[in-house]
This record gives sequence, C-alpha cells and structure tokens, in this order.
Amino acid sequence: MAEERRFRSASGAPIALRRRQHSASCRELAVRGPRLQLRSLSAATSAVWLAAYGLFALSENSMVLSAAIFITLIGLIIYLHFVKIDQESLLVIGSLGIQVTSSYASGKESTTFIEMGQVKDVVINEAIHMQKVIYYLCILLQDPEDPQGVSEVVPLFQSSKPRLDCLIEVYKSCQEILEQRKTAPQSS
Amino acid sequence: NSPAPLPERAIYGFALFLGSWFGFILYLIWAYVPETWLFSLGLTYWPQKYWAVALPVYLLVAVGIGYILLFGINMMSTAPLNSTHTITDNYAKKQQQKKFQEEAIPALRDIPISEVNRMFFLPEK
Repeated sequence: MAEERRFRSASGAPIALRRRQHSASCRELAVRGPRLQLRSLSAATSAVWLAAYGLFALSENSMVLSAAIFITLIGLIIYLHFVKIDQESLLVIGSLGIQVTSSYASGKESTTFIEMGQVKDVVINEAIHMQKVIYYLCILLQDPEDPQGVSEVVPLFQSSKPRLDCLIEVYKSCQEILEQRKTAPQSS
Repeated sequence: NSPAPLPERAIYGFALFLGSWFGFILYLIWAYVPETWLFSLGLTYWPQKYWAVALPVYLLVAVGIGYILLFGINMMSTAPLNSTHTITDNYAKKQQQKKFQEEAIPALRDIPISEVNRMFFLPEK
C-alpha cells in the first residue's frame, strides 16, 4: 500500500513524500527532492566557460580553456556523488529499529540503522539554522544512565528540509508505530 | 545605586567635560601646528604626526570589523541541529517536580519535547 503526496521544502522547492505500509508494525517513508535541472546545469557550465574564455582572452594561455573543461567535469561528478541527495527515506520497524537511507544522484546510498532500544522518541524540533528558524524531524536517543535524559539528537531529512505539513505526516506515522512498543510487552 | 543626580556626580561630569575639551584642543594643536613652531617653543618630544590620521582610521576600521565579528560570533554560538542544547539544558535537567495541588495553578516547569509534540501534532480524539 503506497501513496505519494506533494509538499514544499523549507526553501520552496517541490518535494514528494511517499508512504508505504509493509505490515502493521513496519512503515517506510521516503522524501524525494527535485532532480538536477538541465537549466541550472547549463547555466553553471556556461558561467564557468565564459569566465575561462575571459581569462584566456586576457592571458593568451590556452591551458585555461582545458582547465575549465576539467573543472566542470570533475565538479559535476563530485556534486552528483557527494552533494546532491535525491531521496531520503525512513524505515521504521516496530520491534527492531529505525533505518535512515540517503540516496545520492550518482546512485550511492548511505544507510544508518538505530536499534529500537536506543530510540527514545521521534519528535519535531525547531531550531535556528542559518538566520532562519526551521522545523525538522529528529530521533532522540536514550541515555543509558538516565531514563529521562537524551544522549543524542539525530536530525532527519537534512537535505530536503520538508516544511511542517510534511513533517506532521511523517511524525504521525512514526508515532503510530512507536506507540505499539509501549502497549506490547517487552520481551528482551 | 540609583541613577539620581548627586553633587559628586556633577563634579565628576564637569571634570570629564573639561578634560575631554582639553584633550581635543591638544589633539588639534598636535595635528595642525607645524613642527618647527612647536620646536621653537621647546616642545620636541611629540609622536609622529602620522598617528594623528592613523589612529582615527584604525578606530573606524575596528568599528566596521566589529559589526562583522559580532555577526560571526553569533553564528558560531548557535547550537547545531544535532546538539542536545536545542532540547534541554542544565536547568531543565535538574528541575524539581512539585506535587500537584487541587485548585492551584500548576508550578512553572520545562515540559519535555515529546509531550509538547504530542499535544501539538497528535489530535486528541
């Protein structure tokens, strides 16, 4: 059972939230950001090449042009592999844990798994970020010594930065699963 | 320690007023009067006149940098998104739970973020 809804990110870009329910205690929520636009790619390439041509006109050194081509190619590869995140997904399995996956535009996927014993709660927090106050979803990790304390905060959806309406949907889905572990008796 | 006017404060104020006028006139004399005239009066041990222009410029550039520095210090002191300082702090961790009394206003306390989230975002049926 999958459904997809459109939302906006904090900066106004269109994002899509896809919710899949695999079973009664397992849900997957994926936020997909906009793909790399051809017009921004051509704008960046033209800007770099125009600047290189201007330098070549000033310095009469043709190495500048080949250097500009190299820089554009290598910069594009680095951007797609290390910077541009296409999709961030959250897989919540009720008795097992939470898995956070980021998929980059080059196909690379980076995954983090947090077991359910360490998870205290999944909350929507608001904080100051770069001269703005944003809402962001985060996982609170339990402090082993102090049952009321929080040892660590893991922010989620850092690159797509959904707005509050999308975050509330994700929050409600997560809370439905997290509530089950209170009512179900702990076996371990 | 009230800010009301007192006779001693009036005297301090007048002494500062005279002192600052004296300092200003001295600065103008040092900056504008040619060195030969000052030497002929016997006053030879002055700093170079270069400093009459350099010090005000240093001061104004420092004020301009101070704006940028303050902005940068603010940005550095802001807690990052993954720090626990966005959720709690030492005072909230050590707060005491007061007992609930009937018909009394509840004591002020820091509400944990999980409770706040449940109240805001989960609709009560």
